[in-house]
Amino acid sequence: MLAFRSEEHVQRWREQRCLAPGAVFSPEQMWRLAHEWYRDRLSPDWQRKTPEEAQALFEEIGLTGPFWRLRP
Amino acid sequence: MNDTRVRLHLYERFVADGRPPTAAETAEALGLPTEEAEAAYRRLEEGHVIVLAPGSTDVWMANPLSTVPTPFRVITDDGRSWWGNCVWDGFGVLAMVGADGLVSASCPDCGEPLELRVSGGELEPVDAVVHFAVPAARWWDNIGFT
Repeated sequence: MLAFRSEEHVQRWREQRCLAPGAVFSPEQMWRLAHEWYRDRLSPDWQRKTPEEAQALFEEIGLTGPFWRLRP
Repeated sequence: MNDTRVRLHLYERFVADGRPPTAAETAEALGLPTEEAEAAYRRLEEGHVIVLAPGSTDVWMANPLSTVPTPFRVITDDGRSWWGNCVWDGFGVLAMVGADGLVSASCPDCGEPLELRVSGGELEPVDAVVHFAVPAARWWDNIGFT
């Protein structure tokens, strides 16, 4: 996942590489996701998130739709 | 049990030293046979906790940290620095160590520098967007490209 100046920059970069459209969202959503994903990584009690927990986190942050679906 | 000890040691050393310990170094630090530390590294990879360089037990990624330089440099306000694997992981490093700082990247399209700064535990407003190329269900098909 990469950070771009704007959606126009994403589109130009993607078209030059013949890549299908991905998902574009805000840096604020990215920060919230990264914070919840990694804040306890140094804890002895850390456990990898289950697909259900990850899906719930995506939805809480507003990352919804088929692109974000972890299971069919 | 050993896997938790190995994971914690690996991450703690990576954060402190800026590079992950080898399996032999972890074995020595924890009083384990080297073979057991190597097996633990492999189990951690199978569990999608870390990523090893192909054909070895050398750590490539201990997410969110990268052993090799990437376009995502993470610098804390107290002067520590690491590489993140991507913008998610760049932010993840700051979240993991609980520090303010910045993720220094650049727009892949125009090359213009992008500084994403976290201050007081919050992201400062920035004129940028984030792009994921690969749907979530397929991230681990090739974790080096998402």
